[in-house]
Amino acid sequence: MKTRIPLFLVLVFGIVGIIPYYSQHPIIQGSENFIRNDVIRIVAAFALILGLGSLLRVHFDKIRRSRPNWQYSYVLIIGFVVSSIIGLLGGRVGEGFLPTQIGGFEFHMQVLFENIIVPLGSTMFALLAFFMASAAYRAFRARSLDATLLLVTAFIIMIGLLPLGDRISPHLPSFVQWIMDIPNVASKRGIGFGIALGSLATSLKIILGIERSWLGGSK
Amino acid sequence: MVALILVGLFALAPPTNVQALDTPGDGGEAITVEWQLSPDDNIIDGYEIHRSEDGVDFAMVGFVGRSRTRYEDNTDDGQEYYYKVAALADTVRTFSESSPPALSSPQWFNNSALILLIAMLIFGGIILYYIYVARKGKELYIRKIAGLEAVDDAVGRATEMGKPVLYVIGIGTMSNIASIASINILAEVAKKAGQYETPLIVPHSDPIVYTVAREVVKESYTSIGRPDLFDPDKVFFVTQSQFAYAAAIDGIMVRERPAANFLIGWFRAESLIIAETGAITGAIQIAGTDSVSQLPFFVTACDYTIIGEELYAASAYLSREPMLLSAIKGEDVGKMVIFAALGIASLIGLLTRFPILTIFQ
Amino acid sequence: MKIFDYLATIDRRIIYFILAIVVILPLVFPRPQSVRVMTPAQKLFEAVDSIPEEKVLLIDFDYDPQTAPENEPMAIAIIRHAFEKRIKLAALSLYVQPLGLAVKALDQVREEFNAQATTYEDSIIYGRDYVLLGWQPPPIVPLLGLGISISGVYPTDYYGYRTDSLPVMQGIRNLNNVGILVSVSGGSAPLWWVAYSQVRYGVAVGAGLTAVSASEFFIYYQTGQFTGLMVGMKGAAEYEEMVAQLDVPGRRRASEALGSLTAAHLTIIAFIIIGNIGYFVRRRRK
Repeated sequence: MKTRIPLFLVLVFGIVGIIPYYSQHPIIQGSENFIRNDVIRIVAAFALILGLGSLLRVHFDKIRRSRPNWQYSYVLIIGFVVSSIIGLLGGRVGEGFLPTQIGGFEFHMQVLFENIIVPLGSTMFALLAFFMASAAYRAFRARSLDATLLLVTAFIIMIGLLPLGDRISPHLPSFVQWIMDIPNVASKRGIGFGIALGSLATSLKIILGIERSWLGGSK
Repeated sequence: MVALILVGLFALAPPTNVQALDTPGDGGEAITVEWQLSPDDNIIDGYEIHRSEDGVDFAMVGFVGRSRTRYEDNTDDGQEYYYKVAALADTVRTFSESSPPALSSPQWFNNSALILLIAMLIFGGIILYYIYVARKGKELYIRKIAGLEAVDDAVGRATEMGKPVLYVIGIGTMSNIASIASINILAEVAKKAGQYETPLIVPHSDPIVYTVAREVVKESYTSIGRPDLFDPDKVFFVTQSQFAYAAAIDGIMVRERPAANFLIGWFRAESLIIAETGAITGAIQIAGTDSVSQLPFFVTACDYTIIGEELYAASAYLSREPMLLSAIKGEDVGKMVIFAALGIASLIGLLTRFPILTIFQ
Repeated sequence: MKIFDYLATIDRRIIYFILAIVVILPLVFPRPQSVRVMTPAQKLFEAVDSIPEEKVLLIDFDYDPQTAPENEPMAIAIIRHAFEKRIKLAALSLYVQPLGLAVKALDQVREEFNAQATTYEDSIIYGRDYVLLGWQPPPIVPLLGLGISISGVYPTDYYGYRTDSLPVMQGIRNLNNVGILVSVSGGSAPLWWVAYSQVRYGVAVGAGLTAVSASEFFIYYQTGQFTGLMVGMKGAAEYEEMVAQLDVPGRRRASEALGSLTAAHLTIIAFIIIGNIGYFVRRRRK
């Protein structure tokens, strides 16, 4: 019973998910709308509550047991509580009933977003440039013919995509575009075919109950 | 100006052959009106579409620019409509003949999706055939996948060094096949880690994936007789924000210094940030993703990379169950069908370049 | 010789420091660079330019703050294009985080235009010229629902106004009334629009992509599933170049950043060459 019900639900919803692709009839689209607009949203909302519960439990436990770096758990919990209160009660742009302005200083969600989330996110993404440089320096060695070919192609594309490439030769950007359009597309398409067929096979296995690892290892 | 004078003198030619049809393959409430261009198309402003329910009183319902021959009108199902199309130049209007009456209704099947349905049935059929063959107990060969062969070694290395294993499922949701494939591998990794009593850390980006993974890890420990090893604080949700998640993973790598990192699932730009930090800490890294744009970063920064569909084969590979292996065989045959079709189409395309062989055009 | 051992094993912090200097300097002394416009960006520009009067340009904002340096100039260039040619504009987002960035981009360009406007007709007015539809989770809701009814998915806009009461949305019922949908994204959202909305409803789709994810999108561009593409900072600069030819004023951030991009690429190439020199010499010694 513990496995039969989930397997049955997966079978039903798997088939129900395929049919609307082939039929625009209002009855079928209406059912899909209900599942998509209502059911999935409710499941997602409850899962988010579970996830947040897990996060808070981990950090409360860290504080309680004074595990290493427990002080940072306070930072997380305080940030979580403050942003939740401001977001829920202060509104998106300060239109809620909680005042989000002291003099000329505003602290509603849009301000928090633009001044905290945006710079933090940009900083993390900027790390990518540095990591790319150190990874390229460490790994791009011409150890073999394949590696050398990869290296030379990477150089041509890097230079060709810059305005500098146009100044070196007007044919370079076109050559680079050819590499992107033909060899690159061919290889990506090949991998894409494999992924598409693999997705179809995996989905079939899950819908038909052949693949059951997602159930928690139960057979 | 001259054109308008000419139009006024000689009268604007109307569009012809106005047809109104129920829009095919839709959910109803739409009629497609088509017509042939007015001979004066190059001097008009566009076409007005007029509609009537009784064939007598017409009212304008839409307008399209010149050189257009089609308009889709929103209608009520079950009601007959008549259409006229007027060519418009400034204030001069010339109407076509009325179309026959048309009725909109919903269709059960969208004909434009027929090819997709056929393709799905063909490829699905091939896969199901091989699953059926597997029931007869036939042995199936699968080639070595280096990344999956190294799973045992990676967990063993962590055990010897007394360090934990870090398993990252990426930022995908449960609707990503890569996340499902990753959870299959997580089940096997959890069993091995449980057998060696090596701590396993599994941080999550998606709350639904977190709930599934938590149950999978718990079940894995139970299946090897060690339910006491499951620590719910080691399988936890972090954040849905992409780079905040990457920052959290980096922090875990630098503080906990896991000896083995599994980066298996669906990743975006945070992949290199995570993989490079892992490489800097000296851990053995096994990565796997179907996110094609991230593969180069994993290949550069990790020791083993499982590419694309190899990830989907993982469950079959690690368990060696015939029913699962047979689906991979079906995929391979499906690929052969695609290659054959591509080859034939390419050959025909090549042959059409020769004028004498225009019969192929 | 020790120098070659050193060249093969340079401390990564030195690499980071040199890269930082090389990237920062052109940003401190910015100079917009002109670029040659490539075909993918040209096609996108032409598709937006030829949107008929009765149809709307739909922009999907799908980038986070992290990819905003690359994606935001793309979004701003397209918005400037739409406002200059008086193309009706509707904006939405599949996730909540990009909404703040959508507000920022739309407000910025609106203020740029209104600073130049002399009459009410010249001005860009919210509700008359553009609308921000907002966010409806999960992403599959707008991906499939917009083909049936836009106001069904977004009965009210981001600011709480009834969508069907806004002048800009008059006659705009569903994706049939959308000239082109441009997804400015740091991830896979453009592919979802192709796989769901285009396959089902036939809407034309264009995309603004980060350079790192662009290679997997070219297969769809080649088959015509993407009408046009802006790829990375350079793609944004190309679109800015075409918009600048319409005499639209405004700072061209992508074009200014190309100096940093060029310098960073050349630095990385130099380090790779240095690393390989050290590697070859050591290998020969062995």
